[in-house]
Amino acid sequence: MNLKKILILTPLLLVMQPVLAADDNEAPSNLMNVIGYGAILFTLLLFVVVLLVLLRAVRVMTRVALKSQGYTEEQIAAELHPPKKAKRSKEEVWNKLLSLKPLSQEKDLIMEHEYDGIQELDNPTPSWFMGLFYTTIAFAACYLLIYHVFGIGQLQYDEYKTEVAQAEIAKKEYLSKAANQVDENTVKLTKDPAVLAAGQVIFVSKCAPCHGDHAQGNVGPNLTDDYWLHGNKINDLFKTIKYGVLAKGMPTWEKQLSPKDIADVANYVKSLHGSHPAGAKEPQGINEPEESNKLAAK
Amino acid sequence: MQPEKFYYDNKIVRNFGIATVIWGIIGMLVGLIVAIQLYHPAANMGNQYTTFGRIRPLHTNAVIFAFVGNAIFMGVYYSLQRLLKARMFSDILSKIHFWGWQLIIVSAVITLPLGLTTSHEYAELEWPIDIAITLIWVVFGINMFGTIFKRRERHLYVAIWFYIATFVTIAVLHIVNSFELPVSAFKSYMVYAGVQDALVQWWYGHNAVAFFLTTPYLGMMYYFLPKMANRPIYSYKLSILHFWALIFIYIWAGPHHLLYTTLPGWAQSLGVAFSVMLIAPSWGGMINGLLTLRGAWDKVRDDVVLKFMVVGLTAYGMATFEGPMLSLKQVNAIAHFTDWIIAHVHVGALGWNGFLTFAILYWLIPRIYKTELYSKKLASFHFWIGTLGILFYAIPMYWAGFTQGLMLKEFTPEGILKYSSFLETTLRIIPMHVMRSVGGSLYLLGVIVMGYNLAKTMLAGKLVANEAAQAMPLEPVHTITPELSWHRRLERKPIKMMLAALVVILIGTFIELMPTLTISSNVPTIASVKPYTPLELQGRDIYIREGCSNCHSQTIRPFRSETERYGEYSKAGEFVYDHPFLWGSKRTGPDLAREGGKYGNAWHYNHLMDPRLMSPGSIMPNYDWLISQTLDTSLTAAKINAMRTLGVPYPAGYDKTANRDLDKQAGVIADDLAKNHMKVMKNKEIIAIIAYLQRLGTDIKASKTANNN
Repeated sequence: MNLKKILILTPLLLVMQPVLAADDNEAPSNLMNVIGYGAILFTLLLFVVVLLVLLRAVRVMTRVALKSQGYTEEQIAAELHPPKKAKRSKEEVWNKLLSLKPLSQEKDLIMEHEYDGIQELDNPTPSWFMGLFYTTIAFAACYLLIYHVFGIGQLQYDEYKTEVAQAEIAKKEYLSKAANQVDENTVKLTKDPAVLAAGQVIFVSKCAPCHGDHAQGNVGPNLTDDYWLHGNKINDLFKTIKYGVLAKGMPTWEKQLSPKDIADVANYVKSLHGSHPAGAKEPQGINEPEESNKLAAK
Repeated sequence: MQPEKFYYDNKIVRNFGIATVIWGIIGMLVGLIVAIQLYHPAANMGNQYTTFGRIRPLHTNAVIFAFVGNAIFMGVYYSLQRLLKARMFSDILSKIHFWGWQLIIVSAVITLPLGLTTSHEYAELEWPIDIAITLIWVVFGINMFGTIFKRRERHLYVAIWFYIATFVTIAVLHIVNSFELPVSAFKSYMVYAGVQDALVQWWYGHNAVAFFLTTPYLGMMYYFLPKMANRPIYSYKLSILHFWALIFIYIWAGPHHLLYTTLPGWAQSLGVAFSVMLIAPSWGGMINGLLTLRGAWDKVRDDVVLKFMVVGLTAYGMATFEGPMLSLKQVNAIAHFTDWIIAHVHVGALGWNGFLTFAILYWLIPRIYKTELYSKKLASFHFWIGTLGILFYAIPMYWAGFTQGLMLKEFTPEGILKYSSFLETTLRIIPMHVMRSVGGSLYLLGVIVMGYNLAKTMLAGKLVANEAAQAMPLEPVHTITPELSWHRRLERKPIKMMLAALVVILIGTFIELMPTLTISSNVPTIASVKPYTPLELQGRDIYIREGCSNCHSQTIRPFRSETERYGEYSKAGEFVYDHPFLWGSKRTGPDLAREGGKYGNAWHYNHLMDPRLMSPGSIMPNYDWLISQTLDTSLTAAKINAMRTLGVPYPAGYDKTANRDLDKQAGVIADDLAKNHMKVMKNKEIIAIIAYLQRLGTDIKASKTANNN
């Protein structure tokens, strides 16, 4: 039965291989690989099939040969299926595995000394235990050789360089596809509600502790009035958020927020201008009334 | 020859036994309190003396040195006398040992909440107590070797090999890790600095686990398990092999606590390689124990004492397999600094040390009181609730460690940390911390039930303070037949055995410590790194006093996830003036190695007063007492002088003008705070700690500030 299944499945697989491959990859080199794998798979399957056929043939020939020598049907069956050896008891297998001697032999192993009634057996160290010990010693030796003699393994600072370089490549690749490339020069002022909503979420979690829930100012300055310490243009805000002003306690956010996040939150802050929140902090910085002031006030 | 009559001293065993139970309950209770503070900071009761940073060391010291320590002495004093067929060498020394040890513990209970600490983990006690520990340890050693010398048994049994190795190695570890220069009666600076100090500390810390929590317990296992099960020890050859292999290899493994730090690469690799080789020698003890139970497994079903032993040995096997796995760099990168490590040590502490201690107590107390255990049912209850407690403790902690470790490393495709705020990861694992305290409570409940059960047993029986015994005296040496095996010969020579153990543990010690301590190329210096100003130095001492390093590390590993989160990875040269190093071993909060300049002074002021003002949801306790307490500047000159002695390049005579500089710097910070409407006197402690935090990691920080002014 199994044989038939295999025989039917093999050509089917062979037909499917290139089809599957064609779906996934267009690159010819990949296609060649898939064909290669297919060929190897086919050869292996063919090998199995041949072996099965051979086995069958040997059995049939044995039967014929035995019949010609005058064996009866039962004798032939007995010859072909010899009774299996009795299974060893579970305990025996376990003992063998742990290289334990049977408990009945224990009295021969007892050593002649005793301490406060405690006796000791002269069992050898279990072979699997020694195997484990030697394996770990070999591992340790290889480890030291790989990292410190042959220099194959990377130590931490090289490992770091590799990690960062790979991440840079992956990031560049991703950003070249995504429309996320915004910086302090290209950021645009917008009142898009989606942008403001996204900015508000960030503001509440990252900015509110210092600038207050409504940007009224706390440890950090009020962001809703006409007074600005580091410029009031959207580009200025982007730059202040991105790089921070460490001298005055404004943290750098470029490691924590993506460029889009910074643009969103900068736009959200711009949208709060003139909102006159309760408990507003006194003005700090230069008075820079906006051209769009009246517009924002409305 | 006539057999000699003598008496075993059971009273000292009983005393250490009672101390074990009492300190066990206290130590675990403190553990429960600190565990609750990790999700409910107000559980510090608004009091600086019961705040996490100060009483977490109290928990670790109490369970290691008070609970396990007393249990070791109980087990050693009981088994040593019987294995040597002799009473303890001196009853007076036994008494001094007992009361001295309890006094040391009491002094720890007083000084640690007061914030008197060296900040070296599991070696927090200040220098006068370090000296007391040394003296008491010597008393213990004299008492032990005195007993060995007057023994009536020619050969030393394997348990005693382990006791000897414990004695000699703990002595070496304690002395080398206590090289401190006193500044006042309760303040000292470590002689080593930075990466060297870190290596010494973790050579000590790791081997405190090896030679305080492991070897004495293996010794006790070798005595009590065959007694309990009434079975012979499975293999004498295995005992020899795993004893020597264990003590030789263990001592090398310390650097695995410092993987990916600024410790030289070769030392880190040695730590990894030797940790892996530790699996088999550690398992040797477990195998020899479990196979000793061969043919007695039917007894395990009925006997709660053996149940405790089996679970204890299994926990030992699991922890000693996990340890080497955690030493592999790839695993360590995720697990280090997280709750995974907390889970790992508690499998060992609760399972191996705890359960073995309970088994011994349940077995030994009825015997020295000539009575039966008060209630087998309660003991059985203790076993099951203890096992359940371990599971409820360990599983949530593994989960939490794995979750946080992976979250902290996750990036978005834009190349930004997915969880850029450390707090997000903390909040995610809070339910796990709640579960963990439930597990801890179950375990503690079991111990309290045991205390009741044992007390009832003691009341029902009567202590046999002096237990009669008799044995033949040793025959003169010339009459005994020479031994064929070298080890049998060594077993007759206690001093040679001690020296052999000493040599074996010193090999790894020298090869790892000496080059790092003496060869300067292992710690490259950086010209821009300057000593701390007097105010910063005082602030640093407050940081040490409050135990900040229990939750905040100060070493940035060279991983992209860490350099993006915290800034440039740490360099060995940045720590050359750090007596002691403050790298920490657990990040309950974020790393602070480059905290300087990250936020304004006002942010720090608000954050220390109530962390939830600046970081909603934070589990850091309020440090409002720093605002009200006045900075003690009377020691500034002594501190500067001590640092000068240790090689920190303050100019000669600077101690006289240091307080003037301190005042000036404090004034600048106070003025800045005043600008932000924070009225605080410049002589308050908070000014000093802000000064220190603002200095951290700035010496080599490139200024990337956009200066728009």
